[in-house]
Amino acid sequence: MPEPLKPELLTSGPLLSVRDLEIVFRIDGQDVPVVRDLSFDIEAGETLGIVGESGCGKSITALSLLGLVPNPPGRVSKGQILLNGEDLTRAGEARLNAVRGNDISMVFQEPMTSLNPVYTIGEQIAETVRVHFGLSRAAAWDRAVEMLSQVGIPSPKTRAHDYPHQLSGGMRQRVMIAIALVCEPKILIADEPTTALDVTVQAQIFDLFQDLQERFGAAIILITHDIGVVAQMTDRVMVMYAGRKIEEGSVASFIRDPRHPYTRGLISCIPHLSLPPSDVPAPLFEIPGVVPSARELGASGCAFAPRCSHASGRCAAETPTLFPVGDGRSAACWLEVEAAR
Amino acid sequence: MLKLTLRKAANAVALLLAVLVLNFTMIHLAPGDPVETLVGEMGGATPALIEDLRRSMGLDQPLYIQIGLYVGNVLRGDFGHSYYYDQPVLTLIGARIGPTLLLVTTALFAATMIGTVLGVFSAQRRSSWLSHLVTVLSLAGFSAPVFWVGIMLILVLSVAFPIFPISGMSDAVGTDGGLLYALDVAHHLALPALTLALIYLAFYSRLARASMLEVLGSDYVRTARAKGLPRRLVVYKHALRNAILPVVTFAGLQFGQVISGAVLVETVFAWPGLGTLAFDSILRRDTPTLLGILFFSALMVVVMNVLTDLLYRRIDPRIKIR
Ligand SMILES: Nc1ncnc2c1ncn2[C@@H]1O[C@H](COP(=O)(O)OP(=O)(O)OP(=O)(O)O)[C@@H](O)[C@H]1O
Ligand SMILES: [Mg+2]
Repeated sequence: MPEPLKPELLTSGPLLSVRDLEIVFRIDGQDVPVVRDLSFDIEAGETLGIVGESGCGKSITALSLLGLVPNPPGRVSKGQILLNGEDLTRAGEARLNAVRGNDISMVFQEPMTSLNPVYTIGEQIAETVRVHFGLSRAAAWDRAVEMLSQVGIPSPKTRAHDYPHQLSGGMRQRVMIAIALVCEPKILIADEPTTALDVTVQAQIFDLFQDLQERFGAAIILITHDIGVVAQMTDRVMVMYAGRKIEEGSVASFIRDPRHPYTRGLISCIPHLSLPPSDVPAPLFEIPGVVPSARELGASGCAFAPRCSHASGRCAAETPTLFPVGDGRSAACWLEVEAAR
Repeated sequence: MLKLTLRKAANAVALLLAVLVLNFTMIHLAPGDPVETLVGEMGGATPALIEDLRRSMGLDQPLYIQIGLYVGNVLRGDFGHSYYYDQPVLTLIGARIGPTLLLVTTALFAATMIGTVLGVFSAQRRSSWLSHLVTVLSLAGFSAPVFWVGIMLILVLSVAFPIFPISGMSDAVGTDGGLLYALDVAHHLALPALTLALIYLAFYSRLARASMLEVLGSDYVRTARAKGLPRRLVVYKHALRNAILPVVTFAGLQFGQVISGAVLVETVFAWPGLGTLAFDSILRRDTPTLLGILFFSALMVVVMNVLTDLLYRRIDPRIKIR
């Protein structure tokens, strides 16, 4: 157990609260919103899953929490990102640097390219603690070695002198996790952390996440395409579609009783491994159509309507807002609103 | 590692031998007869004397015998006698190689250093005046001929505003190697080095800019930022070290080109280096001297490549494994 390096902040309310976030990219002289009206909270120590089709804005939302939306062409154009009540969208670069890697840190999708090829992994972990805690070189190095052992890298003392190219993809992702956790952040964002790794390694990495969460007590935002991972890892799920949150709720309810037609489609896309094998393989279910690109979206109307078998005239005309559907869940679908009447 | 070094050394020796044979063959196949040139400068001679000269220079032998003799001599450290200066070629080259190395390395060093600085700064502010300066410099550097740049610099900085000397390497009488002498040489070096550097400065600032832009957009730079490192560390520690790799590679590859560029610059500024000597040797059909210069140029390129390789290995740990 590493000794605590920071005093705990004692504040009530959610640890992180995102309010009405809008992120735009400037394309051909026009601001194209890729994330809209996005609000969600994270409590200390919980795990929030974010799922949604490719391009729906998961990564860019994650980057915005660190103030790392590539600018130009992108920027946060509306809303607040409140960390313990402090609005990070108004924070200057120095303040953001104090938050990055220290209060909020991130593990990226690409372990092969996310480490700097010309520095040892020990140095890449150690510099993070040096910058945030002002530790001496020797102390920071010891801490790096300790982190390497925490993330399950064998013979960490010698391995710390290795360069990234000397490690496998799974090992590199462990190093990324070590970097992300070395300052004991309150929030760890993992953006599809195992997509680039093979299946056996994936399971190890998720075990590691669970193990480390118990030890470090960080809240985790887990971005993934894998509903199985969501079921195993998260407490709460947020479903995004074309830049908006369309459903949110506890994992159990999300899997058992999805409300939004898109979420239902998503759940039924999982092949049922539990069914006894038959001679005729069951066809894989897929949601017809493709996600509209941000530029194709009209100002109003449900973005999923063109692909939705239940869509009515109202769906094309008015954007549905999030509607509570019981046990703290919500879905953005007119069907729910109508059913409630 | 030792095996690798030995293999590289063997490769270098083989390469230099090939250069020797190839140069010799090409020069002897080229039109122009050193004896006739020599005789012309003497104001004519009898056929018997001409025959005599030919024999004393070994020119009456078949080409393959001449090559064999020449390579044998070189292996013993004998590069022959200059037809024109009546001095051993090695002595001539020994006196000239220093100034050329000084000029070429100064120019290349300045070009890569200043080019990297310009490129790195302009990569961070894509639309600043510095960026535009880099673009203009690149265009100018690519399109302006060396001798024109040299002459313009002389006209402006030596004639109109006499800040730098027009030509030569020093005014001092004694070459005692003191501080004053060094300053005097530096004063003379400024314009030729600047001329030579300008051509490559354009190239390196563009190269460094492109490389820096690519690296700044890389995943590991994003990681460095996500760790909360201050901008200074992100740019100068994480990005720069990766971004200069192509600069180092090209500096090594271009060394030979810069030496040939130096021939023109040395001629314009009467810089007493190998370039002026090469130029004169060509005009005088002074084959042994020319061959010697070509060989030593090749040698410098080989040595430079080894040095670049070492430097590259120091910067990029991935190379050591291979
Ligand atoms: N640098 C950029 N310039 C312009 N548009 C961008 C840029 N980065 C992202 N986008 C746009 O923002 C939207 C959201 O992208 P994002 O990377 O967040 O998607 P994602 O949900 O993470 O997808 P994936 O599951 O494929 O990772 C996409 O429509 C994408 O085209
Ligand atoms: Mg993504």
